[in-house]
Amino acid sequence: MKIALVGNPNVGKSTVFNALTGSNQQVGNWAGKTVERKSGLIKRANQQIELIDLPGTYSLTAYSQEEIITREYILREKPDVVMAMIDASNIERNLYLVLQIMELSPRVVIGLNMMDLAQSAGITINTTQLALALNVPVVEIVAAKGKGIEEFLTEAIRVGMLELDPLQGEVSYPEELEQRIRAMEGQLADNAEVTRYPLRWLALKRLERDPEIGQEWKSSTPKSRNSKNKDACCDPGDAVNYELVETVALPGDELLQTYEAEGWGKDQFEMAFADAKYKYISQILPSFRTHENPSKPTWTDLLDKWVLSPIWGYPIMFLVLGIVFWGSFVASAPIGGAVSQGMAWAADVIVSILQWGHAPDFLQSLVRDGIFAGVGAVLAFVPQIAIFFAFFSFMQDSGYLARAAFLGDRFMQLMGLHGKSFFSLVSGFGCNVPGIMATRTLEDPKDRLITMLINPLIPCVPRLGVMSAVVAAFFPGSRGSVVMVSLLLLSMILVMFSALFFRRVVKQTERSAFVMELPLYHIPTLRNILLPTWQKTYSFLRRAWTFILVASIVVWVLSSYPQGVSMNATWAAKMGGWLSFIGEPLGFDWRIMVAIVFGFTAKETTLSTLGILYGVAANASQSIAQAMTGAMTPLRAYTFLVVYMLYIPCLASVVTTYKESGSLGWTSFGVAYNLILSFVMGWIVFHGGLALGFQ
Amino acid sequence: MERLLGDLKPGERAIIERIEGGGALRRRMMDMGIVPGVELEVVRCAPFGGPLQIRLKGYYLAMRRGECAKIKISETYRVNETYPGYIQHPLASR
Ligand SMILES: Nc1nc2c(ncn2[C@@H]2O[C@H](COP(=O)(O)OP(=O)(O)O)[C@@H](O)[C@H]2O)c(=O)[nH]1
Repeated sequence: MKIALVGNPNVGKSTVFNALTGSNQQVGNWAGKTVERKSGLIKRANQQIELIDLPGTYSLTAYSQEEIITREYILREKPDVVMAMIDASNIERNLYLVLQIMELSPRVVIGLNMMDLAQSAGITINTTQLALALNVPVVEIVAAKGKGIEEFLTEAIRVGMLELDPLQGEVSYPEELEQRIRAMEGQLADNAEVTRYPLRWLALKRLERDPEIGQEWKSSTPKSRNSKNKDACCDPGDAVNYELVETVALPGDELLQTYEAEGWGKDQFEMAFADAKYKYISQILPSFRTHENPSKPTWTDLLDKWVLSPIWGYPIMFLVLGIVFWGSFVASAPIGGAVSQGMAWAADVIVSILQWGHAPDFLQSLVRDGIFAGVGAVLAFVPQIAIFFAFFSFMQDSGYLARAAFLGDRFMQLMGLHGKSFFSLVSGFGCNVPGIMATRTLEDPKDRLITMLINPLIPCVPRLGVMSAVVAAFFPGSRGSVVMVSLLLLSMILVMFSALFFRRVVKQTERSAFVMELPLYHIPTLRNILLPTWQKTYSFLRRAWTFILVASIVVWVLSSYPQGVSMNATWAAKMGGWLSFIGEPLGFDWRIMVAIVFGFTAKETTLSTLGILYGVAANASQSIAQAMTGAMTPLRAYTFLVVYMLYIPCLASVVTTYKESGSLGWTSFGVAYNLILSFVMGWIVFHGGLALGFQ
Repeated sequence: MERLLGDLKPGERAIIERIEGGGALRRRMMDMGIVPGVELEVVRCAPFGGPLQIRLKGYYLAMRRGECAKIKISETYRVNETYPGYIQHPLASR
């Protein structure tokens, strides 16, 4: 039996899904989309049930990627039962989706969640009356406390096992609409499509001129479910692709034209149907809902008075972001360090085994300096990413993320971006990898792409560390902070400029709207935080490790061959030499070009590379920077800083961009853009500086 | 006189009369419950001309001024001035 969980965003679907499936989850992506696909197999009453958690959606009309997926799934996969979850504290808008689902799916069970929140807001809902009004079973749940979840599933199974489809309630449309729907039903009644979809739904969609009805889709599953690399958790899930088999021309064209002439076009019908549904809801509402003392401010009202206040809103936001940053990027440093040390230790152990087995030198070097050093540099990020995601889930589930988007939207609007991009960009200061991954909350794929592409221009903590060491060496005293601030300002300006530029490059048919729900505050459950954190971290590693391994080996080969020569005779140094024609106009010598090439694996290695090239002992960032002061003028150093800040952030972020955008073309575009921009800016700074007489 | 949702000040309520424009934006608004006849209240505005926080059907919504300018309203009246968001009588469902 196939059961689908459907509901508005934030109704507690994941909580129910996690409680029901436990660790029997398969998490992957929907075919070709970066939307999470979660399914799980459960056994109840001798039934094998495939439970699928569909992305949260406000309606079944396609707007965002999430909504398209949910709609397509219900339309094409036809789950046996739909478990529709609604939020008792916000029942009016939630029922709108339920009415749409009931028109499409003959077997629906309603789960009335957040009963505790509703109660504290003075809302009581008479479940029996609600079930009566819609003629659909209703189960009360408090998902966060695990109450009613099992009963919800049991009811769904019961409905799924019924011989005949139960009779569900129907929206009563006003007379003038009803007549037209009936007429359309009459035209469609003999059509073969009726065997696949309910007649009323077909008629409604035909009147709305929905392009998808009449299309038959075949699902083609590329890989078998029982593939070999099946993990206990987090199997990527099989991506289901749909192929259009045929399009049936549906009758009723003349009727549509008549209506069009009467002033009933596609838009009018859409509007009228939505209006009728809302009217219907408010008609039946009094029979099951009572709202006592609605003037009493809720917890959310009281909190929002501070959190969204014009005076305190921003300080609170900076405080929250400060805590997130401190937690993910400062407090995690020892763990990251421990990971690096662990890797170094493991490398030593393996190398000593190799030595014992008289393995050739190049193999030992490959293992220690290539694989372990390269992979270790990336692995050291993982604690940061994991902790960041824990905070991220917390903010998203608690409802704060929407508030941050509300406050940050004004600044994003200047760049033509959505308020939700704000958080991704701010996260970029910590590390671009989670910053890019955080774009998933954006609904519009184009907004998502633009945010992803500008994210690397924001200097992350490791880059800022290297930059401040160089700044401290070249610009001592208070000049240093001026220089640092000027660099940050430059990056801000370029972020803004690039966002506007990409807006022109990325074709967008319609600008995305900023119409966003500000959910009530919730206290997230521990499981809701830890489970996604684990899944995201695991899938990051799983998807990125091959790339990272290969790239580490490539860099190692370049920097250690031909064998036995000093660093400035290796292939990498030669590459630096070839590239010095790019560097020369900027006043860079070949050493800096080599450091830039090497910085690609992980930017924090730049200082140690420079250290080796300038012949200073590694791991003493101050002295390396000091050594550079002898070889470079402050203007050149400043140019270096500009280029360093802006060029491709690191391998991990490029891989993440590729995985999140799903497009090699856009990823290469982003890399090329970064490179060109950084060198052009460097050139402008260098020559501008010379012209102004700086040296 | 025709007024727009964007003209409302915090603490004011109004009834939606008409939504200008079409396409995805209007459909989105419909999905969120913004249809003619619905009563809503502007709770607060984000600083520097940022989005508006709107209350309708017992929940909160954030919308940009540009989008609010597409919504024609009628019958405006003030609620409590000192405590925007503090409701004296419930928002009628319709
Ligand atoms: N007060 C309360 N909070 C809940 C309840 N169910 C879920 N939550 C919280 O609501 C938030 C959103 O839940 P989630 O399952 O992530 O929603 P989804 O977006 O629909 O998957 C989380 O912080 C949950 O802890 C409930 O019955 N009562």
